Amino acid sequence: MSRTNNSLDELIEALRCLPGVGPKSAQRMAYHLLQYDQAGAHRLALALDRALQRIRRCAKCNTFTEEEVCALCTSPKRDPSLLCVVETPADQAVMEQTLAYQGLYFVLMGRLSPLDGIGPKEIGLDALQRRVSDGIVKEVILATNFTNEGEATAHYIHEMLQGRGLKITRIARGVPVGGELEYVDLGTLAQAFYERREA
Amino acid sequence: MEQGSRRRVENERAYVLHTWPYSETSLLVEIFSRGYGRLPLLAKGVRRPRSSLRGLLMAFQPLSLGWSGRGEVRTLNRCEWVGGLPLLKGDALLCGFYCNELLMRLLPREDPHEALFDHYEATLAQLQHAEDLERVLRAFERTLLKELGYGLTLDRDAETGGPIDPEAFYDYEPDRGPVPSRGEGRLRLRGRTLLAIANEDYSDPGTLQQYKQLMRLLINHRLDQQPLHSRNVYRELQQL
Ligand SMILES: [Zn+2]
Repeated sequence: MSRTNNSLDELIEALRCLPGVGPKSAQRMAYHLLQYDQAGAHRLALALDRALQRIRRCAKCNTFTEEEVCALCTSPKRDPSLLCVVETPADQAVMEQTLAYQGLYFVLMGRLSPLDGIGPKEIGLDALQRRVSDGIVKEVILATNFTNEGEATAHYIHEMLQGRGLKITRIARGVPVGGELEYVDLGTLAQAFYERREA
Repeated sequence: MEQGSRRRVENERAYVLHTWPYSETSLLVEIFSRGYGRLPLLAKGVRRPRSSLRGLLMAFQPLSLGWSGRGEVRTLNRCEWVGGLPLLKGDALLCGFYCNELLMRLLPREDPHEALFDHYEATLAQLQHAEDLERVLRAFERTLLKELGYGLTLDRDAETGGPIDPEAFYDYEPDRGPVPSRGEGRLRLRGRTLLAIANEDYSDPGTLQQYKQLMRLLINHRLDQQPLHSRNVYRELQQL
């Protein structure tokens, strides 16, 4: 670890933990906070401290929450027989915006990434296995990304959950709604062709 | 090669091996190209939500790339999807990750290997349909080692230079080849097995198993015994 000799260096060094923030932007942020926005800096420090103390993982869906179990998981309006597996809270949020889905979620907080050494332990597949064994979940919907890593994740979750009497589905991919073939990107169109279904 | 001609490359056949986020909107992309080998490219702005290249810079997709610049990291200018290869699935996908990791770890940067590129491309196509993924992997490992200058010696005794005796036992020494066994080597193989591997005759089911151990010994040796992430992840997944 680099030894910092004063609290300004310490602050700049600390800001660099943010994604995409290099030494220059960290310095700019630190000067800005100290010179022009001490109130904002104070608020940030308090909010960070509070979040760190209060926020934990939902015991059922693994997302961030202040409760033992999050509001969505306890909502009586949701269908507990459906469980949708997503990579991140952002993916869950966008699924919610579609209003197409009324079931519950499991958030992996990542994806399998063999080249980075991220395997089943790192994304908590054992917790998912326990979650679907509650006797209530009937269908698991795999909504991981359509990247190689997301596909690998979906494939191995499928393998892991097979033979338990659960219905396992994968969200469909293909030509976007309103998409005209002429303007669809070629990779998407080719994959839609490979995965064509009976009309 | 002339310095000036290295500045701009157009329409180069290539595959993405791996990517890393770089700043808020860019991507660092490690590629394996046919004419220039493995090298890193900076793909500016491709992580923006509406970037047309966002879904394109993915491993296992045949691409045609253009780049420019002179530093270690060049800048990606063009990327076109060439197509003809469906994406890998399941265990075949994990095998693809393994091949990519081998290239990342063993192939030096900017060292062109056209024959290896062609074999890599053929390997991806074979993985799509292969009944026996292991055989496809062994062939890839063997070509990779050969292209790097570490071709396998299988048909002669590295100590005497004489032919392999099918009935004798040999210890395989990674830097030399098979030597008459003194029972102290890390991998002891029968002469018959060495000859079967040389002739790609896998009719004896034990041969492929020994072949796998041999390749593992040689690859681990080239990696200075550093573990391969994709191999570990694969093992963990099989235990699920
Ligand atoms: Zn929850």
